[in-house]
Amino acid sequence: MAVTLDQSSASAVVEARRAHNEKLARKADQTRATWFPLAVMAILIALPLLQFTGNYNYLLHMVLFTASHVAMASGWNILGGFAGYISLGHSVFFAIGGYFSGMILARYGISTIVTAPLAGLLAAVVGYLIGMVTLKVRGPSFIISSIALLMIARILFDNWELIGGANGVTLPVNDLPVQWAKIPYYYAMLAIAAFTVWASYKIKHSKFGLGLRAISKDEIKAESAGIDTRFYKVMAFALSAFFVGMAGAVWGEYLTYLRPNIFLVILVSANLVLMSILGGKGTVAGPVIGAILIVALNELFVATMGASEINILGTGMVMAAGLMFFPLGLVGTLARKGKLPRVLNWD
Amino acid sequence: MADILQILILGLALGGVIALMGSGLSLVFGVMRIVNLAHPSLIIGGAYVTYWAFKMTGVDPIVMLPVASLIMAAIGVLLYRLMFERETKSAKYSEMTVLLTFALAMMVEGLLGGLFTNTQRVVSPDYATDAFFIGDLFIPKGQLYAGIVSLVIITALSLFLKYSRLGYAIRATTQNREAAELLGVNVNFICILAFAIGIGLAGAAGSLVSFVFSFFPAKHWEWIAMLMSVVVLGGMGSILGTVVAALLLSVIAAFVGTWIGATWSTLTFFLALFLILLVRPQGLFGEKPEMA
Repeated sequence: MAVTLDQSSASAVVEARRAHNEKLARKADQTRATWFPLAVMAILIALPLLQFTGNYNYLLHMVLFTASHVAMASGWNILGGFAGYISLGHSVFFAIGGYFSGMILARYGISTIVTAPLAGLLAAVVGYLIGMVTLKVRGPSFIISSIALLMIARILFDNWELIGGANGVTLPVNDLPVQWAKIPYYYAMLAIAAFTVWASYKIKHSKFGLGLRAISKDEIKAESAGIDTRFYKVMAFALSAFFVGMAGAVWGEYLTYLRPNIFLVILVSANLVLMSILGGKGTVAGPVIGAILIVALNELFVATMGASEINILGTGMVMAAGLMFFPLGLVGTLARKGKLPRVLNWD
Repeated sequence: MADILQILILGLALGGVIALMGSGLSLVFGVMRIVNLAHPSLIIGGAYVTYWAFKMTGVDPIVMLPVASLIMAAIGVLLYRLMFERETKSAKYSEMTVLLTFALAMMVEGLLGGLFTNTQRVVSPDYATDAFFIGDLFIPKGQLYAGIVSLVIITALSLFLKYSRLGYAIRATTQNREAAELLGVNVNFICILAFAIGIGLAGAAGSLVSFVFSFFPAKHWEWIAMLMSVVVLGGMGSILGTVVAALLLSVIAAFVGTWIGATWSTLTFFLALFLILLVRPQGLFGEKPEMA
């Protein structure tokens, strides 16, 4: 008996599949520990209350520092993790964000917290334009081109007198008492980090994110399946630049000075790569876990051994060991073994 | 006119050294498909070997060259066995190795920085600051000797690759790994050998670099994009291409440096790298579109 596949039965199949998918999604939602990130956020929001009882500036600084890296690593992950295009030049967008908002602050006195989204937007536009050019190549060539991009940007920033050249610019310090001086940046960075993680979750679960993952698996097949790979890749680049740029904007004012040798160093990019890979490239929770781990490790190295050279050596060793023994990262490895704790399953 | 000739000479002499710096990188990519971002940091390793030998016993850098080269080659074997051999079966091999060599570069930088601090160093044998004068032209002896030595080494390397049995095997592996293996080439041994030669070339380049440039552990970041541009322009894996590209780019950079400003001469390399990757990713002499 021949099976006739007329219009109605085809749409019935599609309908049945959709129902099945929704059932799976509902099931995943039920097991998802949404309370966990929310609880963490609540604690972090309440954390500055500690300032009433004593001086916890160091703690706040560490949270702020971690949050900035959570935002940047999650942003990097959109291009590097979802789409599989590893960039070692993302410090360029960090610098663009920092300098754009920082210069506005220096000239017009508008806080970077207000202009951060604009800085992100500018970084995204620059990322879009650069992506149009560099995303023509892939694999090692793309990585090399991203390093070249960083080198070019460094020379330009070092020699651009308008933005202070190699000496950089000093930004005005806010007039809050020492105890509360960090608070605005603390909340701003926390908000940026939370927004980035949320956006990264949304992107991963959208058609766009599915397309990016297809590109990272096999770009030619993705293209022949009808995905506009070029547009997808360039958009991923722009989006990832957006989040890095926003974090850079607030970071500049928090630091109170802008200088190319702080923003435009390869170590900044390397840290983002390291965080994403160690935590789990292509997962939502990965860069967050990676950022927390690396910042803690960094702090440990600095506290116990001091010298920055040892820090570079340590970062390199952790990176090499992570790549060799856990190429999927912490979250990825645990997930593959089916041992990922429910609270860390944000995908 | 004399000006132009002078710039040309300086550019070519530097180009010779840069060619040697890039040739090991090119060989390692050709045989193993490893984009060795740690190559410049290993060059600096070789430079430190030469520096300390000179400082402690006064031995001439050019005499020290074979020793530095052997030491670095031994380190290369070790690194390959420890880090890269196990990755050959990885699905994302080429990206994986780029990141691994990046991590290695940081480790080497951190180690050298921790041991020898980030002070600028330079080896200064008598000829490093001396020069020949021909009419109005002056040719710095250090750069001239370094250029000649590197061209000799590169010629020797090419002859080895072209005429020796091992050279055949290396070239066969470069062209087609599986086919070479089918014909009885011990590909793993060839990889170790080529990696050792590549890192040995880094050590040799380090000896020359030690008296041509001043160096410090973090300097390799400046060199990586420069060497990459030379190797990519030449076509990754092609030694001849690397030499031609090195001479070409360093002459252009010399002209840019004289006429526009020293800051912009390094930009030549970075911009060139950017443009080549986009316009002709396989480079001048390369025929392998898989890099794209």
